[in-house]
Amino acid sequence: MLRLTRFSPKLLGFLAIVILLLALINFTGEHRSRYTFIENLVLTAISPVQGFISELGSSASDFLQGVTGYREILEENRELREVLAARDTYRQELLELQKENFRLREMLGFQERTEYELLPAEVIARDPTHWFETITINRGYYHGIEEKMAVVTAEGLVGNVFQVSRNTSKVLLLTDSRRAVSILVQRSRDPGTAGIVEGYPEEEGYLRVINLPPEANIQSGDTIISSGMGGVFPKGLIVGEVMEVGKDQYGLLQQALVRPAVNFNRLEEVFIVLDIRQEEENMEGNFSMEGQREGRESLL
Amino acid sequence: MDNENGITLAPYLIIIFLAVILLVLEGSFFALVFLRGIKPDLLLIVIVCLSFLWGEKKGMILGIITGLLQDIFFGPAIGFFALAKMLSAYFSGLISREIYKDQIVGPMLTVFFATIMHESILYMLVSFYWGAEMGFFVAVESIFLFRAFYHFALTLFLYPIIYKADRANFFNPSYR
Repeated sequence: MLRLTRFSPKLLGFLAIVILLLALINFTGEHRSRYTFIENLVLTAISPVQGFISELGSSASDFLQGVTGYREILEENRELREVLAARDTYRQELLELQKENFRLREMLGFQERTEYELLPAEVIARDPTHWFETITINRGYYHGIEEKMAVVTAEGLVGNVFQVSRNTSKVLLLTDSRRAVSILVQRSRDPGTAGIVEGYPEEEGYLRVINLPPEANIQSGDTIISSGMGGVFPKGLIVGEVMEVGKDQYGLLQQALVRPAVNFNRLEEVFIVLDIRQEEENMEGNFSMEGQREGRESLL
Repeated sequence: MDNENGITLAPYLIIIFLAVILLVLEGSFFALVFLRGIKPDLLLIVIVCLSFLWGEKKGMILGIITGLLQDIFFGPAIGFFALAKMLSAYFSGLISREIYKDQIVGPMLTVFFATIMHESILYMLVSFYWGAEMGFFVAVESIFLFRAFYHFALTLFLYPIIYKADRANFFNPSYR
Protein backbone atom coordinates (compact mmCIF):
# COMPACT_ATOMS: atom_id res chain seq x y z
CA MET A 1 0.00 0.00 0.00
CA LEU A 2 2.87 2.30 0.91
CA ARG A 3 4.68 1.47 -2.31
CA LEU A 4 1.56 2.21 -4.32
CA THR A 5 1.20 5.58 -2.59
CA ARG A 6 4.83 6.43 -3.29
CA PHE A 7 4.50 5.78 -7.01
CA SER A 8 0.93 6.82 -7.42
CA PRO A 9 1.17 10.50 -8.52
CA LYS A 10 3.29 9.74 -11.61
CA LEU A 11 1.58 6.48 -12.39
CA LEU A 12 -1.88 7.93 -11.88
CA GLY A 13 -1.05 10.93 -14.06
CA PHE A 14 0.20 8.63 -16.81
CA LEU A 15 -2.84 6.38 -16.60
CA ALA A 16 -5.14 9.42 -16.51
CA ILE A 17 -3.66 10.67 -19.80
CA VAL A 18 -4.01 7.22 -21.42
CA ILE A 19 -7.63 6.93 -20.25
CA LEU A 20 -8.37 10.49 -21.36
CA LEU A 21 -7.02 9.77 -24.84
CA LEU A 22 -8.99 6.51 -25.06
CA ALA A 23 -12.14 8.36 -24.01
CA LEU A 24 -11.39 11.03 -26.63
CA ILE A 25 -11.05 8.35 -29.33
CA ASN A 26 -14.33 6.82 -28.22
CA PHE A 27 -16.08 10.17 -28.12
CA THR A 28 -14.81 11.49 -31.45
CA GLY A 29 -14.68 8.17 -33.33
CA GLU A 30 -18.39 7.53 -33.64
CA HIS A 31 -21.15 9.45 -35.35
CA ARG A 32 -18.92 12.43 -35.98
CA SER A 33 -19.44 13.89 -39.41
CA ARG A 34 -18.44 17.48 -38.53
CA TYR A 35 -15.11 18.68 -37.21
CA THR A 36 -14.63 20.59 -33.96
CA PHE A 37 -13.83 24.32 -34.04
CA ILE A 38 -10.08 23.75 -33.51
CA GLU A 39 -9.91 21.07 -36.21
CA ASN A 40 -11.82 23.34 -38.57
CA LEU A 41 -9.42 26.18 -37.86
CA VAL A 42 -6.29 24.08 -38.45
CA LEU A 43 -7.64 22.38 -41.59
CA THR A 44 -8.98 25.61 -43.11
CA ALA A 45 -5.66 27.36 -42.49
CA ILE A 46 -3.60 24.50 -43.89
CA SER A 47 -5.72 23.46 -46.90
CA PRO A 48 -4.24 26.05 -49.34
CA VAL A 49 -0.72 24.89 -48.38
CA GLN A 50 -1.77 21.26 -48.82
CA GLY A 51 -3.19 22.09 -52.24
CA PHE A 52 0.03 23.79 -53.29
CA ILE A 53 2.30 21.01 -51.98
CA SER A 54 0.01 18.41 -53.55
CA GLU A 55 0.49 20.06 -56.93
CA LEU A 56 4.26 20.03 -56.39
CA GLY A 57 4.07 16.35 -55.44
CA SER A 58 2.02 15.60 -58.51
CA SER A 59 4.55 17.35 -60.75
CA ALA A 60 7.44 15.51 -59.06
CA SER A 61 5.60 12.22 -59.44
CA ASP A 62 4.89 12.89 -63.13
CA PHE A 63 8.53 13.84 -63.66
CA LEU A 64 9.81 10.67 -61.92
CA GLN A 65 7.40 8.51 -63.88
CA GLY A 66 8.44 10.25 -67.07
CA VAL A 67 12.11 9.58 -66.37
CA THR A 68 11.61 5.95 -65.42
CA GLY A 69 9.01 5.05 -68.01
CA TYR A 70 9.75 7.03 -71.17
CA ARG A 71 9.40 3.95 -73.43
CA GLU A 72 6.16 2.94 -71.79
CA ILE A 73 4.84 6.47 -72.22
CA LEU A 74 5.58 6.41 -75.94
CA GLU A 75 3.81 3.06 -76.29
CA GLU A 76 0.92 4.25 -74.12
CA ASN A 77 0.67 7.42 -76.19
CA ARG A 78 0.35 5.42 -79.41
CA GLU A 79 -2.27 3.14 -77.89
CA LEU A 80 -4.20 6.07 -76.46
CA ARG A 81 -4.33 7.77 -79.83
CA GLU A 82 -5.86 4.63 -81.30
CA VAL A 83 -8.31 4.34 -78.40
CA LEU A 84 -9.22 8.00 -78.74
CA ALA A 85 -9.98 7.62 -82.44
CA ALA A 86 -12.23 4.65 -81.70
CA ARG A 87 -13.78 6.49 -78.75
CA ASP A 88 -15.00 9.34 -80.96
CA THR A 89 -17.04 6.89 -82.98
CA TYR A 90 -18.35 5.22 -79.85
CA ARG A 91 -19.22 8.57 -78.36
CA GLN A 92 -21.48 9.45 -81.26
CA GLU A 93 -23.12 6.05 -81.07
CA LEU A 94 -23.54 6.38 -77.32
CA LEU A 95 -25.17 9.78 -77.61
CA GLU A 96 -27.65 8.36 -80.11
CA LEU A 97 -28.33 5.35 -77.89
CA GLN A 98 -28.67 7.62 -74.90
CA LYS A 99 -31.34 9.71 -76.59
CA GLU A 100 -33.15 6.58 -77.66
CA ASN A 101 -32.80 5.17 -74.17
CA PHE A 102 -34.33 8.27 -72.62
CA ARG A 103 -37.21 8.23 -75.07
CA LEU A 104 -37.89 4.57 -74.26
CA ARG A 105 -37.61 5.19 -70.54
CA GLU A 106 -40.09 8.00 -70.79
CA MET A 107 -42.42 5.83 -72.78
CA LEU A 108 -42.20 2.97 -70.34
CA GLY A 109 -42.30 5.25 -67.33
CA PHE A 110 -39.16 3.79 -65.80
CA GLN A 111 -38.16 5.30 -62.49
CA GLU A 112 -34.55 4.25 -62.64
CA ARG A 113 -31.82 6.69 -61.80
CA THR A 114 -30.00 8.38 -64.65
CA GLU A 115 -28.74 11.77 -63.51
CA TYR A 116 -26.55 13.11 -60.75
CA GLU A 117 -25.78 16.63 -59.68
CA LEU A 118 -21.99 16.64 -59.58
CA LEU A 119 -19.53 18.99 -57.91
CA PRO A 120 -15.88 18.81 -59.00
CA ALA A 121 -13.19 18.78 -56.31
CA GLU A 122 -9.42 18.49 -56.16
CA VAL A 123 -7.56 15.97 -54.06
CA ILE A 124 -5.28 17.94 -51.73
CA ALA A 125 -3.97 15.20 -49.42
CA ARG A 126 -3.76 11.45 -48.99
CA ASP A 127 -3.43 9.50 -45.77
CA PRO A 128 0.28 8.58 -45.74
CA THR A 129 -0.14 5.76 -43.22
CA HIS A 130 -1.16 2.28 -44.27
CA TRP A 131 -3.93 2.16 -41.67
CA PHE A 132 -6.63 4.03 -43.55
CA GLU A 133 -7.41 4.55 -47.22
CA THR A 134 -8.59 8.13 -47.23
CA ILE A 135 -8.09 11.29 -49.26
CA THR A 136 -8.79 14.93 -48.46
CA ILE A 137 -10.62 17.09 -51.03
CA ASN A 138 -10.91 20.87 -51.24
CA ARG A 139 -14.68 21.07 -50.80
CA GLY A 140 -16.54 21.24 -47.49
CA TYR A 141 -19.92 22.08 -46.01
CA TYR A 142 -19.53 25.61 -47.33
CA HIS A 143 -19.93 24.07 -50.82
CA GLY A 144 -22.87 21.90 -49.83
CA ILE A 145 -20.95 18.72 -49.03
CA GLU A 146 -22.50 16.39 -46.50
CA GLU A 147 -21.49 13.13 -44.88
CA LYS A 148 -22.10 9.94 -46.92
CA MET A 149 -22.18 11.71 -50.29
CA ALA A 150 -20.76 9.45 -53.00
CA VAL A 151 -17.50 10.42 -54.70
CA VAL A 152 -16.84 9.37 -58.30
CA THR A 153 -14.55 9.95 -61.27
CA ALA A 154 -15.17 9.43 -64.95
CA GLU A 155 -13.74 5.90 -64.48
CA GLY A 156 -16.09 4.86 -61.69
CA LEU A 157 -16.81 4.85 -57.99
CA VAL A 158 -14.18 6.27 -55.62
CA GLY A 159 -15.81 6.17 -52.17
CA ASN A 160 -17.86 8.44 -49.97
CA VAL A 161 -17.46 11.51 -47.78
CA PHE A 162 -17.16 10.66 -44.09
CA GLN A 163 -15.99 13.86 -42.39
CA VAL A 164 -16.70 17.43 -43.46
CA SER A 165 -15.02 20.70 -42.43
CA ARG A 166 -15.80 24.15 -43.81
CA ASN A 167 -13.55 23.92 -46.88
CA THR A 168 -12.31 20.35 -46.89
CA SER A 169 -13.74 16.85 -46.57
CA LYS A 170 -12.27 13.41 -45.95
CA VAL A 171 -13.26 10.67 -48.35
CA LEU A 172 -13.19 6.99 -47.40
CA LEU A 173 -11.95 5.10 -50.46
CA LEU A 174 -13.39 1.83 -51.71
CA THR A 175 -10.09 0.14 -50.85
CA ASP A 176 -10.51 0.92 -47.13
CA SER A 177 -11.58 -2.29 -45.45
CA ARG A 178 -13.89 -0.35 -43.12
CA ARG A 179 -16.30 0.11 -46.00
CA ALA A 180 -18.47 -2.27 -47.97
CA VAL A 181 -20.58 -1.56 -51.05
CA SER A 182 -23.46 -3.61 -52.38
CA ILE A 183 -22.81 -4.60 -56.00
CA LEU A 184 -24.24 -6.32 -59.06
CA VAL A 185 -22.66 -7.96 -62.08
CA GLN A 186 -23.27 -5.64 -65.04
CA ARG A 187 -23.58 -8.51 -67.56
CA SER A 188 -26.49 -10.19 -65.83
CA ARG A 189 -27.80 -7.52 -63.42
CA ASP A 190 -29.19 -10.55 -61.65
CA PRO A 191 -30.24 -9.68 -58.09
CA GLY A 192 -29.23 -13.24 -57.17
CA THR A 193 -25.64 -12.29 -57.98
CA ALA A 194 -25.68 -9.35 -55.58
CA GLY A 195 -22.67 -9.33 -53.29
CA ILE A 196 -20.64 -7.00 -51.17
CA VAL A 197 -17.38 -5.49 -52.32
CA GLU A 198 -14.80 -4.46 -49.75
CA GLY A 199 -11.11 -3.56 -49.43
CA TYR A 200 -8.67 -6.45 -49.63
CA PRO A 201 -5.70 -5.84 -47.32
CA GLU A 202 -3.83 -8.94 -48.54
CA GLU A 203 -3.76 -7.60 -52.12
CA GLU A 204 -2.95 -3.91 -51.91
CA GLY A 205 -4.99 -1.81 -54.31
CA TYR A 206 -7.48 -4.61 -55.06
CA LEU A 207 -11.02 -5.26 -53.86
CA ARG A 208 -12.88 -8.46 -53.18
CA VAL A 209 -16.51 -9.41 -53.56
CA ILE A 210 -17.78 -11.57 -50.72
CA ASN A 211 -21.05 -13.28 -49.80
CA LEU A 212 -21.75 -14.45 -53.35
CA PRO A 213 -24.10 -17.44 -53.46
CA PRO A 214 -22.59 -20.63 -54.99
CA GLU A 215 -24.92 -20.39 -58.00
CA ALA A 216 -24.05 -16.72 -58.66
CA ASN A 217 -23.46 -16.00 -62.33
CA ILE A 218 -20.06 -14.30 -62.14
CA GLN A 219 -16.87 -14.92 -64.07
CA SER A 220 -13.47 -13.44 -64.70
CA GLY A 221 -13.71 -10.31 -66.91
CA ASP A 222 -17.16 -9.31 -65.62
CA THR A 223 -17.73 -5.66 -64.78
CA ILE A 224 -18.99 -4.96 -61.27
CA ILE A 225 -21.39 -2.05 -60.68
CA SER A 226 -22.96 -0.51 -57.60
CA SER A 227 -26.42 -1.88 -56.88
CA GLY A 228 -27.77 1.32 -55.30
CA MET A 229 -28.89 -0.56 -52.19
CA GLY A 230 -28.28 1.33 -48.97
CA GLY A 231 -28.99 4.71 -50.51
CA VAL A 232 -25.38 5.99 -50.29
CA PHE A 233 -24.14 5.10 -53.75
CA PRO A 234 -26.13 5.66 -56.93
CA LYS A 235 -26.95 2.54 -58.88
CA GLY A 236 -24.89 1.59 -61.90
CA LEU A 237 -21.52 3.17 -61.11
CA ILE A 238 -18.62 1.03 -62.27
CA VAL A 239 -16.67 -0.45 -59.36
CA GLY A 240 -14.16 -2.64 -61.20
CA GLU A 241 -13.42 -5.77 -63.20
CA VAL A 242 -13.44 -9.33 -61.87
CA MET A 243 -9.95 -10.89 -62.04
CA GLU A 244 -10.55 -14.23 -60.31
CA VAL A 245 -13.49 -16.14 -58.88
CA GLY A 246 -13.12 -18.78 -56.18
CA LYS A 247 -14.62 -20.29 -53.05
CA ASP A 248 -14.45 -18.45 -49.74
CA GLN A 249 -12.45 -19.84 -46.82
CA TYR A 250 -15.31 -22.12 -45.72
CA GLY A 251 -15.97 -23.42 -49.24
CA LEU A 252 -19.68 -22.50 -49.03
CA LEU A 253 -19.91 -19.18 -50.84
CA GLN A 254 -18.07 -17.65 -53.75
CA GLN A 255 -15.73 -14.68 -53.62
CA ALA A 256 -14.05 -12.70 -56.36
CA LEU A 257 -10.90 -10.61 -56.68
CA VAL A 258 -11.71 -7.27 -58.33
CA ARG A 259 -9.41 -4.72 -59.92
CA PRO A 260 -10.93 -1.27 -59.21
CA ALA A 261 -11.91 0.82 -62.22
CA VAL A 262 -10.38 3.85 -60.53
CA ASN A 263 -6.63 4.16 -60.08
CA PHE A 264 -6.60 5.27 -56.45
CA ASN A 265 -2.91 6.14 -56.60
CA ARG A 266 -3.48 8.72 -59.31
CA LEU A 267 -6.57 10.50 -58.04
CA GLU A 268 -6.26 14.22 -58.63
CA GLU A 269 -9.78 15.36 -59.43
CA VAL A 270 -13.03 13.79 -58.34
CA PHE A 271 -16.74 14.55 -58.44
CA ILE A 272 -19.05 14.56 -55.46
CA VAL A 273 -22.58 13.32 -56.14
CA LEU A 274 -24.62 16.03 -54.45
CA ASP A 275 -28.00 14.35 -54.63
CA ILE A 276 -28.74 10.89 -55.93
CA ARG A 277 -32.46 11.60 -55.84
CA GLN A 278 -31.91 14.49 -58.25
CA GLU A 279 -32.02 12.02 -61.11
CA GLU A 280 -35.65 11.24 -60.56
CA GLU A 281 -36.58 14.89 -60.91
CA ASN A 282 -34.33 15.15 -63.94
CA MET A 283 -35.95 12.11 -65.50
CA GLU A 284 -39.24 13.86 -65.35
CA GLY A 285 -37.78 17.18 -66.53
CA ASN A 286 -35.84 18.27 -69.55
CA PHE A 287 -32.98 15.81 -70.10
CA SER A 288 -31.38 17.78 -72.89
CA MET A 289 -30.01 20.46 -70.56
CA GLU A 290 -26.32 21.06 -71.21
CA GLY A 291 -25.25 20.75 -67.58
CA GLN A 292 -26.97 17.43 -67.20
CA ARG A 293 -25.41 16.13 -70.36
CA GLU A 294 -21.95 17.11 -69.12
CA GLY A 295 -22.60 15.34 -65.86
CA ARG A 296 -23.84 12.24 -67.63
CA GLU A 297 -20.92 12.15 -70.02
CA SER A 298 -18.44 12.51 -67.22
CA LEU A 299 -19.78 9.33 -65.74
CA LEU A 300 -19.58 7.32 -68.93
CA MET B 1 8.88 31.31 -21.32
CA ASP B 2 10.12 29.04 -18.52
CA ASN B 3 7.47 27.67 -16.26
CA GLU B 4 7.93 26.43 -12.74
CA ASN B 5 8.82 22.86 -13.83
CA GLY B 6 11.66 24.04 -16.00
CA ILE B 7 9.78 23.19 -19.22
CA THR B 8 10.05 25.91 -21.86
CA LEU B 9 7.38 26.45 -24.48
CA ALA B 10 9.71 27.44 -27.32
CA PRO B 11 10.80 23.88 -28.24
CA TYR B 12 7.17 22.74 -28.42
CA LEU B 13 6.16 25.65 -30.63
CA ILE B 14 9.05 24.87 -32.97
CA ILE B 15 8.09 21.17 -32.95
CA ILE B 16 4.44 22.03 -33.74
CA PHE B 17 5.63 24.09 -36.71
CA LEU B 18 7.94 21.26 -37.86
CA ALA B 19 5.17 18.69 -37.35
CA VAL B 20 2.75 20.66 -39.54
CA ILE B 21 5.39 20.87 -42.29
CA LEU B 22 6.13 17.13 -42.02
CA LEU B 23 2.43 16.19 -42.04
CA VAL B 24 1.73 18.36 -45.08
CA LEU B 25 4.74 16.84 -46.85
CA GLU B 26 3.73 13.29 -45.88
CA GLY B 27 0.12 13.72 -46.99
CA SER B 28 0.55 15.85 -50.07
CA PHE B 29 4.04 15.29 -51.43
CA PHE B 30 5.42 11.92 -50.35
CA ALA B 31 2.02 10.27 -50.84
CA LEU B 32 2.24 11.24 -54.53
CA VAL B 33 5.96 10.71 -55.09
CA PHE B 34 6.03 7.29 -53.37
CA LEU B 35 2.89 5.99 -55.06
CA ARG B 36 3.35 2.40 -54.04
CA GLY B 37 4.86 0.75 -51.03
CA ILE B 38 5.03 1.84 -47.43
CA LYS B 39 5.63 5.52 -46.82
CA PRO B 40 7.92 6.56 -43.97
CA ASP B 41 6.45 8.22 -40.86
CA LEU B 42 9.04 10.98 -40.59
CA LEU B 43 7.18 12.57 -37.71
CA LEU B 44 7.56 9.40 -35.65
CA ILE B 45 11.31 9.26 -36.34
CA VAL B 46 11.75 12.91 -35.30
CA ILE B 47 9.67 12.48 -32.15
CA VAL B 48 11.47 9.31 -31.10
CA CYS B 49 14.89 10.90 -31.71
CA LEU B 50 13.95 14.01 -29.70
CA SER B 51 12.51 11.90 -26.87
CA PHE B 52 15.74 9.93 -26.91
CA LEU B 53 17.64 13.20 -26.39
CA TRP B 54 15.21 14.97 -24.03
CA GLY B 55 13.90 12.14 -21.85
CA GLU B 56 10.52 10.50 -21.30
CA LYS B 57 8.65 13.44 -19.74
CA LYS B 58 9.24 15.90 -22.58
CA GLY B 59 8.95 13.03 -25.05
CA MET B 60 5.49 12.22 -23.78
CA ILE B 61 4.34 15.83 -24.26
CA LEU B 62 5.88 15.87 -27.76
CA GLY B 63 4.08 12.63 -28.60
CA ILE B 64 0.71 13.94 -27.47
CA ILE B 65 1.02 17.31 -29.27
CA THR B 66 2.24 15.93 -32.59
CA GLY B 67 -0.11 12.92 -32.39
CA LEU B 68 -3.08 15.23 -31.91
CA LEU B 69 -1.98 17.21 -34.97
CA GLN B 70 -1.75 13.98 -36.97
CA ASP B 71 -5.23 13.05 -35.73
CA ILE B 72 -6.60 16.35 -37.04
CA PHE B 73 -4.91 15.81 -40.40
CA PHE B 74 -5.52 12.11 -41.01
CA GLY B 75 -6.98 10.39 -37.98
CA PRO B 76 -10.42 8.81 -37.91
CA ALA B 77 -10.79 10.03 -34.32
CA ILE B 78 -8.99 12.43 -31.99
CA GLY B 79 -6.50 10.70 -29.71
CA PHE B 80 -5.73 7.80 -32.01
CA PHE B 81 -2.23 8.76 -33.17
CA ALA B 82 -1.75 10.86 -29.99
CA LEU B 83 -1.90 7.75 -27.80
CA ALA B 84 0.39 5.72 -30.07
CA LYS B 85 2.96 8.51 -30.40
CA MET B 86 2.83 9.38 -26.70
CA LEU B 87 3.57 5.80 -25.61
CA SER B 88 6.29 5.33 -28.25
CA ALA B 89 7.97 8.60 -27.25
CA TYR B 90 7.70 7.72 -23.55
CA PHE B 91 9.30 4.34 -24.23
CA SER B 92 12.14 6.01 -26.19
CA GLY B 93 12.79 8.50 -23.41
CA LEU B 94 12.89 5.73 -20.81
CA ILE B 95 15.37 3.48 -22.58
CA SER B 96 17.59 6.42 -23.59
CA ARG B 97 18.78 6.64 -19.98
CA GLU B 98 20.90 3.55 -20.52
CA ILE B 99 22.27 4.42 -23.97
CA TYR B 100 24.95 6.81 -25.19
CA LYS B 101 23.37 9.67 -27.07
CA ASP B 102 26.36 10.51 -29.23
CA GLN B 103 26.52 7.10 -30.92
CA ILE B 104 24.19 6.39 -33.82
CA VAL B 105 23.39 2.72 -33.07
CA GLY B 106 21.41 3.53 -29.91
CA PRO B 107 18.85 5.86 -31.52
CA MET B 108 18.62 3.61 -34.60
CA LEU B 109 17.64 0.61 -32.45
CA THR B 110 15.32 2.80 -30.39
CA VAL B 111 13.55 3.97 -33.55
CA PHE B 112 13.31 0.34 -34.73
CA PHE B 113 11.59 -0.86 -31.55
CA ALA B 114 9.54 2.34 -31.12
CA THR B 115 8.18 1.84 -34.66
CA ILE B 116 7.07 -1.71 -33.88
CA MET B 117 5.50 -0.44 -30.65
CA HIS B 118 3.76 2.47 -32.46
CA GLU B 119 2.35 0.17 -35.16
CA SER B 120 1.28 -2.45 -32.61
CA ILE B 121 -0.64 0.15 -30.58
CA LEU B 122 -2.34 1.40 -33.76
CA TYR B 123 -3.14 -2.22 -34.69
CA MET B 124 -4.79 -2.78 -31.32
CA LEU B 125 -6.81 0.43 -31.54
CA VAL B 126 -7.92 -0.29 -35.13
CA SER B 127 -8.81 -3.88 -34.18
CA PHE B 128 -10.77 -2.71 -31.17
CA TYR B 129 -12.75 0.00 -32.94
CA TRP B 130 -13.12 -1.39 -36.47
CA GLY B 131 -12.05 -5.01 -36.36
CA ALA B 132 -8.76 -6.57 -37.46
CA GLU B 133 -7.99 -6.70 -41.18
CA MET B 134 -5.31 -9.33 -40.75
CA GLY B 135 -3.73 -11.35 -37.97
CA PHE B 136 -1.30 -9.57 -35.67
CA PHE B 137 1.71 -11.70 -36.58
CA VAL B 138 0.93 -11.43 -40.30
CA ALA B 139 0.84 -7.64 -39.87
CA VAL B 140 4.14 -7.69 -37.96
CA GLU B 141 5.78 -9.82 -40.62
CA SER B 142 4.42 -8.06 -43.71
CA ILE B 143 4.21 -4.42 -42.57
CA PHE B 144 5.62 -3.54 -39.14
CA LEU B 145 9.05 -5.12 -39.55
CA PHE B 146 9.50 -3.64 -43.00
CA ARG B 147 8.53 -0.20 -41.73
CA ALA B 148 10.78 -0.58 -38.67
CA PHE B 149 13.79 -1.43 -40.88
CA TYR B 150 12.88 1.49 -43.17
CA HIS B 151 12.82 3.89 -40.19
CA PHE B 152 15.98 2.25 -38.79
CA ALA B 153 17.82 3.13 -42.03
CA LEU B 154 16.37 6.66 -42.25
CA THR B 155 17.50 7.37 -38.67
CA LEU B 156 21.07 6.98 -39.87
CA PHE B 157 20.58 10.22 -41.82
CA LEU B 158 18.06 12.04 -39.64
CA TYR B 159 19.52 11.51 -36.15
CA PRO B 160 22.83 13.35 -36.83
CA ILE B 161 20.83 16.35 -38.10
CA ILE B 162 18.49 16.32 -35.08
CA TYR B 163 21.42 15.76 -32.69
CA LYS B 164 23.40 18.69 -34.13
CA ALA B 165 20.32 20.93 -34.18
CA ASP B 166 19.67 20.10 -30.53
CA ARG B 167 23.27 20.76 -29.54
CA ALA B 168 23.12 24.11 -31.38
CA ASN B 169 19.94 24.94 -29.37
CA PHE B 170 17.84 25.09 -32.52
CA PHE B 171 14.84 23.90 -30.53
CA ASN B 172 15.53 26.29 -27.68
CA PRO B 173 16.44 29.70 -29.12
CA SER B 174 16.61 31.40 -25.70
CA TYR B 175 19.74 29.33 -24.84
CA ARG B 176 21.64 30.22 -27.99
